[in-house]
Amino acid sequence: MPRWLTDHGIAVVSPVLLVAGWEWASATGVLREALFPRPTTVARHLGQLVTDGTLERHTATTLVRIAWAFAVSAVLGVATGLAMGSWRRLREALDPVFAVVYPIPSVLFLPLVSFLVPAGEVAVVITTAVTSFFLVALTTMHGVRQIDPLVVEAATHYGARGWRLFTAVLLPGALPSVFTGLRLGLGYALIVVIAVEIVAAGRGLGAFLWLSWQVLKVEDMYAAFLVVAVLGAALSYGLAALRARLLPWVQDVAER
Amino acid sequence: MAVATPLALLALWEVAARLALLSPQYFPPPTAIAAGLAESLVAGDLGEHLAITVARLAMAFVVAAVPGVPLGLVMGLARPVRQAVDPYIAFLFPVPKIAMLPFLLILLGVGEPAFVLTGALSAFFQIVISTLAGVQTMDPRLLEVGENYGARGARLFRAIILPAALPAIFTGLRLGLGLALVAVVAVEFIAAKSGLGHLVYRHWQMLGTVDMYGAFALVGALGLALTRGLRALQSRMLTWQEDPGRL
Repeated sequence: MPRWLTDHGIAVVSPVLLVAGWEWASATGVLREALFPRPTTVARHLGQLVTDGTLERHTATTLVRIAWAFAVSAVLGVATGLAMGSWRRLREALDPVFAVVYPIPSVLFLPLVSFLVPAGEVAVVITTAVTSFFLVALTTMHGVRQIDPLVVEAATHYGARGWRLFTAVLLPGALPSVFTGLRLGLGYALIVVIAVEIVAAGRGLGAFLWLSWQVLKVEDMYAAFLVVAVLGAALSYGLAALRARLLPWVQDVAER
Repeated sequence: MAVATPLALLALWEVAARLALLSPQYFPPPTAIAAGLAESLVAGDLGEHLAITVARLAMAFVVAAVPGVPLGLVMGLARPVRQAVDPYIAFLFPVPKIAMLPFLLILLGVGEPAFVLTGALSAFFQIVISTLAGVQTMDPRLLEVGENYGARGARLFRAIILPAALPAIFTGLRLGLGLALVAVVAVEFIAAKSGLGHLVYRHWQMLGTVDMYGAFALVGALGLALTRGLRALQSRMLTWQEDPGRL
């Protein structure tokens, strides 16, 4: 047996056993096949949805929304967080607002946003971006604030100020926290986009999932859930891997 | 200073709404919202919906924490368990739990168990992962010291491992409660016929904006009270260690 398998034996065997057990149970009627279709049935159905393009269309819609929301919240969040970390006055002014608004679940912003912009993609994207923005801004601010003041002092003694201080000291110093914020923000964006799609969109994985529940197309539900799950895992671990690859010296302050 | 900015923003909103710079239909003045909020708390059913949301949240939290903390501890202490369970935790943790709602609805029917369980699942994975991290990242020297003083088994667990992991466990519970609030309110918004999340949805659909903002503000107050309260409780109870995860 290869060493890798002896080390990770259980980790591989336990999911395989689970799927096999499920297959057996719904084939023999221990589980109701109407609610728990066999994994092989789901896999076949998934293949069908891929070939006829249904899944691709919904996944693409969701991904585009997440990408926009993530881009908006990353750019505005990092900028706001850096500014709040650097200027005490701004931090003191915004802190109470953030404290009140940040814990409000994003979906609730949908009505508010829908009053401000016409319903449609823009409203979905803005709603999705709200909580991610706060997360990115707050973690970035903490990142700036935990920079050793000695380092900042040393840099100013060597003549770094303004833009120079910012790019040479503050930004690199806050980078680990910024990354944590971006990773958490991306995770939140996925949660919110699915919820918003369930409520207010005709397309996207959340809408597809909800619609298949309403008409009880159970295989579609499993297929949609599987794609959402894989998307979640891919976004979360993909971003961590990307950080490890591009910025190996930067540590995520709260890995996982 | 701490209240100046929010007050200034509210005053700005008030003036803009009164001068009809903002459509009062969509953005009623804050004083009108506050008056409506007070009225429906006293005379209306707002208090009832608040109680329903809090009850769901409390149930979800208990259902998540009671198995979550022990599972995290066992995973941290027993390697085979960790290897067997970790694939599922790692796979399901980043999945939006709201996507599990349809499955719970067909399994349990449309009703409280499905709503509560969606909230519980949101908190559960966070609690397991934080607890596991608390055990795994404890200083091995502490274990050594304990063993050298003759502590093993239950003794070692109670005197060394649990206190060392407690700050991380508490952080997991706090983050989990926050995630449960997000899930419970979202579920109410989407599927339930009661609770603060549902109120926001209903008043949005009927354009009862005064009541909508009232329920919205109440959710904000609930979130603020929970995050602030738990953080204060954490620094009070666990004075010997710093919070490993501030957010």
